Amino acid sequence: MSRLLSKDFLAGLMFVGFGAGALSFARHLPVGTAMRMGPGYIPHALAYLLLVFGFVIAAIALIYPDETFEGPRWKPLGAVTIAIVCFAFLFEAAGMFPALVALVLIASWGGGEFNTLEVTANIAILTVLCVVVFKFGLGMNVSIVAGIG
Amino acid sequence: MDVIHNLSLGISVALSVQNLLYALAGCIIGTLIGVLPGIGPVATIAMLLPITFHLPPTAALIMLAGIYYGAQYGGSTTSILVNLPGEASSVVTCIDGYQMARRGRAGAALSISAVGSFFAGTIGTIVIVLFATPLTQMAQKFGPADYCSLMVLGLMASIVLASGSVLKAIAMVLLGLLFGLVGTDVNTGAQRFTFEIAELSDGIDFAPIAMGLFGITEIILNFERRLQRSGAVKVGSLWPTMDEVKRAWPAVLRGTGLGSILGVLPGGGPTLGAFSAYMLEKKISRDPSAFGKGAVEGVAGPESANNAAAQTSFIPMLTLGIPSNAVMALMVGAMIIQGIQPGPEVMTKNAELFWGMVASMWIGNCMLVIINLPLIGIWVKLLTVPYRFLAPAILLFCCIGAYSLQSSSFHIMQVAAFGVLGYIFARLGCEGAPFLLGLVLGPQLEEYFRRAMLLSRGDPLVFIQRPISLSLLLAAAALLILIILPSLRQARNEAFQEEET
Repeated sequence: MSRLLSKDFLAGLMFVGFGAGALSFARHLPVGTAMRMGPGYIPHALAYLLLVFGFVIAAIALIYPDETFEGPRWKPLGAVTIAIVCFAFLFEAAGMFPALVALVLIASWGGGEFNTLEVTANIAILTVLCVVVFKFGLGMNVSIVAGIG
Repeated sequence: MDVIHNLSLGISVALSVQNLLYALAGCIIGTLIGVLPGIGPVATIAMLLPITFHLPPTAALIMLAGIYYGAQYGGSTTSILVNLPGEASSVVTCIDGYQMARRGRAGAALSISAVGSFFAGTIGTIVIVLFATPLTQMAQKFGPADYCSLMVLGLMASIVLASGSVLKAIAMVLLGLLFGLVGTDVNTGAQRFTFEIAELSDGIDFAPIAMGLFGITEIILNFERRLQRSGAVKVGSLWPTMDEVKRAWPAVLRGTGLGSILGVLPGGGPTLGAFSAYMLEKKISRDPSAFGKGAVEGVAGPESANNAAAQTSFIPMLTLGIPSNAVMALMVGAMIIQGIQPGPEVMTKNAELFWGMVASMWIGNCMLVIINLPLIGIWVKLLTVPYRFLAPAILLFCCIGAYSLQSSSFHIMQVAAFGVLGYIFARLGCEGAPFLLGLVLGPQLEEYFRRAMLLSRGDPLVFIQRPISLSLLLAAAALLILIILPSLRQARNEAFQEEET
């Protein structure tokens, strides 16, 4: 079982996955000839190369087991990703300030050591900084709070 | 006389108030980044790419270059004071620099490293001035096939520099090339891998990928590790003793020479320069046992070498348009964002940009000595800023930066997606740098490859019939053989192990 969970084996699978995905999404692209290459020539070539390298990497990993893969820690990964996604949704819809608050709150929670006073201070400093730099400095066309200004 | 004419042009560009300000801003930001925990020069440059979008091209590149070598200087400061390298190229400085600091010679170590770096930076800039013109003239003789082979050589070099499995590094290059294809095919107008998303038809923007892969991934990994910093030691007097000066200056000279050469090589760069210089100093020293216990040479040599290499690694990027490491790949990305096609034409078509940038490198190095030595107290204070304050701020600037590229939230989502992808890469032991190089070179490589094959009527032999192309391919093959050879592989692994500790 551990052989199937080694870093190299999984990396090999990932490359195979990307190769297969590329191949299936490129199937409608005409390949053309070596002299007059179609838009699909290079994508196909790269996809096949990725498949080959992926299989070789995975095969080698089965014979010579590498370090075992360490499962992800979901909290930092999830928090950072969700923080960015929330920001993306709030930035235009609700304005810079709500987006900023959401991002800093979620990201700080993901980093552990959550101290309400510190996080509030951080939000205050960053809000002032962002308004000065992006709104007034670079003249970015975004409202601080949507509907207000 | 051309050189003098070019230099005077460059100096006049670099000395304009605007460019001086951007050089200063770059140097300060770079030093700040070098000193602050948990964020390297690649992530910083990626983060600031969108901001440079709004600047004129020369100012943008001057600022980015300033960040790059500013981070070199800043990285040495943390290596010496707290035994934590700000980035890979100052790893070796930790070994003897921190020991010097513990014996109360921190100030001397800092000033030797700053002055050594300045000297090396000056020589590195002179090397660029001398070699840029002949190299560019040579590059103008290149046909499409030669360009292809040159890019293959550049990509191969990025594989040599990646740590871990060679096969995985090659696969990462391929994956990067594949991501570079996303968008509308220039020759036929066909949509490739766009999934009917309108934003993807111009290709994936380079900046969100770089931010995600390097900036966001770094934050997630640092959160996992619960990054902590210990308190800094006292700096003490900045003046080195006569004995220290006597031992340091030959090491500075050797480091500068070695670094300048290694920086030009494809795949070379500051990290390689610093490691080689340290090994050289240890080998020729009359008292090798002093190394690791605070030998001045162990600070002076690598510090000069990494700075010299940082300067000369601009040569392949500026003259041939081929980046030799991840930072240079970002520079190429910045040029493309500005609408400048990197390559030999830059020097003739954008002479002001080219020479202005070269001249500003030297000016930037002057600024850095001033920023780093008298103002060292400020940077020491910054060392104590906890990461839990910094991380949300870095995230925030990434997001706003990505948005400002095209005023679209889609770019922020891309940052998130590539952050996750970068995290997967890191967990699977796949390096981001070869991916980034593949991504940057992908579209050009395809273009030249198709053109070369069209000219040769579909005959792939063209790549070995042209002497320039053949010799470049042979060099690439030689590199590949070198890394597969067991003895060298071992040395490479050792070097990377040292880097990781």
